[in-house]
Amino acid sequence: MSWSSLINILFIALHAMVPITLTAVGEIVGETAGLFNIGLEGMLLLSAFMGVIGAEHAGPIVGLLVGAGTGALVGLVFSIISTYWKGNQMITGIGINLFAAGAVAYSFVVLGRPGYRLLDAADRLPAIRTPSGGLSPIIFVAILVPFLVYWFLKRTRAGLILKAAGEAPEAADVAGINVNRMRLLATTFGGLLAGLAGAYMSISWVGSVTKGLSAGRGFISLAIVVFSGLNPILALVGGFIYGIFQSLAIWIKNTPGITFLPWQVFDMLPYIVTLLVVAGVIGRVRFPKALGTPYKRE
Amino acid sequence: MVQVDQTPRAVGTSELFLAAHGISKTYSDGTEALKRVDLEIHHGEIIGLLGENGAGKTTLTKILSGLLPPTEGRVESPRGSVRFASPREATDFGIGMVHQHFALVGPFTAAENVALSHERPFTRIRLAKSLERLKALMEESGLHVPLDVPIEKLAVGEQQRVEILKVLSRDVDLLILDEPTSVLTPLEVDNLFELLHKLRGQGKSIILITHKLKEVQSITDRIVVLRHGELVGNVRTSEATTEHLARLMVGEALEQAADAVELRDDALPVRRDEVLDDIEKEIVLHVEKLVSRGNTGEIAVDGVSFDVHAGEIFGIAGVEGNGQSELVECLTGLRVPTQGKATIVGTDILGRDPREIYRLGVAHIPEDRWEVGLVLPFTLAENAILGIHRWEQFRGPLRTIRWGAVQQHVRALMKRFEIRATGPSAPAKSLSGGNQQKLIVGRELAKDPAVIVASQPTRGLDVASAKYIRDLLVDMRNRGRAVLLVSADLDEVLARSDRVAIMYEGRFMTVCRPAELDRETVGMLMGGVTSGAKEVCDE
Amino acid sequence: MSERELLAQDIKGALKRGLFGLSPIAESLVAAALGLIIGAIIMALSGFDPIVAYAALLKGGFASTYALATSAARATPLLLTGLTFAICVRAGMFNIGAEGQMYMGALAAVTLSYFVLPPGLYQIVGILFAMTAGALWSLIPALLRVFRGVSEVISTIMFNWISHFLAFYLIAKILVDPARSSQTVRVPVAARFPILIPRTDLSYALFAALAFAILIYVLLWHTPTGYEIRAAGLNPRAAKYGGIKSKRTMIMSFLLGGMSAGLAGAAMAMGTPPSYAVFAGLSQIANLGFNGMAVAMVGRNHPIGMIASALLFGGLAAGAREMQISAGVPVEMVGVVQGVIVIALAVPELLRIFRIFRKRWPRLFGRRAEV
Repeated sequence: MSWSSLINILFIALHAMVPITLTAVGEIVGETAGLFNIGLEGMLLLSAFMGVIGAEHAGPIVGLLVGAGTGALVGLVFSIISTYWKGNQMITGIGINLFAAGAVAYSFVVLGRPGYRLLDAADRLPAIRTPSGGLSPIIFVAILVPFLVYWFLKRTRAGLILKAAGEAPEAADVAGINVNRMRLLATTFGGLLAGLAGAYMSISWVGSVTKGLSAGRGFISLAIVVFSGLNPILALVGGFIYGIFQSLAIWIKNTPGITFLPWQVFDMLPYIVTLLVVAGVIGRVRFPKALGTPYKRE
Repeated sequence: MVQVDQTPRAVGTSELFLAAHGISKTYSDGTEALKRVDLEIHHGEIIGLLGENGAGKTTLTKILSGLLPPTEGRVESPRGSVRFASPREATDFGIGMVHQHFALVGPFTAAENVALSHERPFTRIRLAKSLERLKALMEESGLHVPLDVPIEKLAVGEQQRVEILKVLSRDVDLLILDEPTSVLTPLEVDNLFELLHKLRGQGKSIILITHKLKEVQSITDRIVVLRHGELVGNVRTSEATTEHLARLMVGEALEQAADAVELRDDALPVRRDEVLDDIEKEIVLHVEKLVSRGNTGEIAVDGVSFDVHAGEIFGIAGVEGNGQSELVECLTGLRVPTQGKATIVGTDILGRDPREIYRLGVAHIPEDRWEVGLVLPFTLAENAILGIHRWEQFRGPLRTIRWGAVQQHVRALMKRFEIRATGPSAPAKSLSGGNQQKLIVGRELAKDPAVIVASQPTRGLDVASAKYIRDLLVDMRNRGRAVLLVSADLDEVLARSDRVAIMYEGRFMTVCRPAELDRETVGMLMGGVTSGAKEVCDE
Repeated sequence: MSERELLAQDIKGALKRGLFGLSPIAESLVAAALGLIIGAIIMALSGFDPIVAYAALLKGGFASTYALATSAARATPLLLTGLTFAICVRAGMFNIGAEGQMYMGALAAVTLSYFVLPPGLYQIVGILFAMTAGALWSLIPALLRVFRGVSEVISTIMFNWISHFLAFYLIAKILVDPARSSQTVRVPVAARFPILIPRTDLSYALFAALAFAILIYVLLWHTPTGYEIRAAGLNPRAAKYGGIKSKRTMIMSFLLGGMSAGLAGAAMAMGTPPSYAVFAGLSQIANLGFNGMAVAMVGRNHPIGMIASALLFGGLAAGAREMQISAGVPVEMVGVVQGVIVIALAVPELLRIFRIFRKRWPRLFGRRAEV
């Protein structure tokens, strides 16, 4: 393997890491506060699509903002249903996924061609040119955000409050914390990050949006959250590990001469690895006690 | 028992702090928890809020501390009307509550828990400054706790101290304590009461919620009695008698009140039945050097040995959390011990499946009827066969369940044990606590067991149901069954057992006949103090 | 209390509960209505006429024998994949893997073409193959959950994707039809489910699905094993106290769920004219697993309720084509409606919120403000 191949693999890995890391870090904030969002998959798809619409109208930056905003909006809706309306988080999440799949497919047809939507090169986010290839600027965002969130959760009082809301909402309530509002803010922020991740995929990385764009990344992010034990820095690490495997799979698929295994096996690889990672790590991580249950004062 | 100083203060001469007028509370499901309750709270007094389970004591204090809004009525202070929209507003006003089930965050340290109720959100935690303040507070109040250990690793008594420190750190004028002594040893109770006296001397008001008659008479200035949500008594402690209070609490015919009164403890009640002298009676349950770990990995049961004979009630007394739960779980197939031996009429039971143990003739009335004893969404019928759902009498063709036979069984139970419900198909969660417990007890006793393990069987029940169940257990004893009664209710255990063991930190401090023990000795043993106690019996 | 009084009390209680018992049905109806309303709004915003669209939907789904037959045919696999989700929910778990388990079942069914069997046995063997494949595919996530504590949500989804690519490989390389490289070998004629109503694609697979649903009902509510599954799903600690081993119930529920999804695969492979094979790209069977979850939720995770709910969703799928032809609305609208219905069902006491809306904005509902 040549040096340039290695750099190539690294670059692809970095690109593949972004959606996982951003979504995972967002979900970490949400889960710390006590809400378990399995609708991340749908969020990614919706914001990828809305991001493309935004970019077509007003350029890539606006597209990214629209995508992030979409994610935040979905996060808001999810948290309102899960907190004030005492909805079942699992079912709401599944519903969001179903709705997103249907809505995006529908919108493809109504707004253009069925199945996909291509973004003009002019509307894509320009990459940072390096001697070895292009790097999306969002990669650097994805590296910075985990550290910021880590500091936020550990060192500010807001982080303490979020943890209290997720761990012992009754105690937080008595201490004067508005538990539902905190959960709302946390999950909306998580949605914002997931929205950015989705928009990144369509605007910066792939350049188009298809029905299957998210390809299970929402769930892989959930797995990385488990791996991270709610530590954003570990989510960065986990995202990178995932990125490496996905990158290897792409590289092997595209390199002639590797024919001993069918290409489908390499496509399976990221999912198998995710499974192994979760299976290996479980039992050593601890989750907030009130995760997944709505809080009621009586 | 240390006699606490009771300098009676002339009520009415000290300033009014808060007055509640006509407080009513109806919950969303229709239950009327409070009906037009009036309450005056003065500075520098300790008020006892007395009543049975479900009388409305906790609801009233939750309204005062801002957790719940009243449906009707208002609360007034000398400065004007007050209405709390959240617990924080109440705390800012000067009212703090120490909850029965502590409002603490497990993985946080004591310092972090206290810090939670101070300061505003997006600032950096100034832990150093709050640590200083906390240490000063600990000195002043005499409550010491380790500050950097996650509180979920602390003992229950220590956790309560953190809870109290948390409230005191907010500089409150009214301190509400909800059943604070249920998790304390008699020694810790004395310490707590000393602190309350000190606070009263500083001019603070205290409301003490309790259902224990003796306790409320020993420390309070005034006693307010609630019954079924209504205020039925407001007397000066010095003028109240135990009988009068019991009658106010229970409200029924004198007989019932007399029963409640019977459970006084300055002199142990005379046993109506003959004390068993015949040690030749068959040993049904034999336990030898049982050792077991608890959920946190530490040793919970530390080498316990005892026997229970047929026709005997063997009681285990002690404050909850000293290994009783784990001991019961080991004997009923819910936990695997690390060492030891236990047999039922010779057959090993340790490490076996609960169903196998039931087949050996064991009935288990669990201490947690909601989480363990019942499947609440299930109907009465479905709950009635929990544990015996594979028995032949309920088997239909092709290995199905014969629901007809189950329904018959349930109706018989409902009749025999006076379980009030709309029918066998009623969901278990629609029953009152007392009826739920009667369902569980009925289900277990209907198995015609040789051994009955009853763990906190009357916890949280109204007086009538509690008495009913106690009598049932005695009845079983009289019919020659072996009964293992574990209870934190000292009166209950001492009054009903033939022999009693006092459990502390996983070991039996002593095993005696109740008549040979006096209150003071029991108190000390429960608190782990052996030196200075009078010579205790041992078998 | 006398026997008569007890009996009277019993009847009164049953009546009261009966009315209450209707409340889950009412909730499902409200959720369905909400989904349709929001669908109508979206359609209107996209420039379509919702009335025309829904009329076409009804026509295509229920207005003729052909429509009903098509609806029932669409409902068949949905009922089965819905059962997968429902059985596991009753056991306290979330099995999102019906999709992958169904793929495996379908592929197992087409392998029949490699065997020569006495004529009467083909269908039974095919069903058995499919159920076994589905059960095996469901077993590993179950074991991972029971013995390693891995969230079954994550593991079943990963397995869905793994089976997705595994299926691609099998269809393209192993099970491929030598004559047509874009699909698998075909299920032998003797193994195909006979068509129930001529010139439709409704086959006897419907009966297999209905029979399985009833079987599951009897199992869950009338056998000790089913009792144990439900008890462990509602309260694992009380179940343990009752001598029930949650590990057993969890694994059993996943096996049953996998069998159900496998059967769905068999229904598709052995019961879908004219090809009786699985296409590359999995087009005819894609998303049946996910849609089954919506069916389960609307049917309140009860087999009998799910029969009705499957027919509803089958009707939506059948009517969607007519909706596209007559009103121009893309078939994907059905997915949108589905998603809204599921979200609406997530809210407990949906009816109560409905009533609160009525109180706050009475004019919206055309009535005077209530006191």
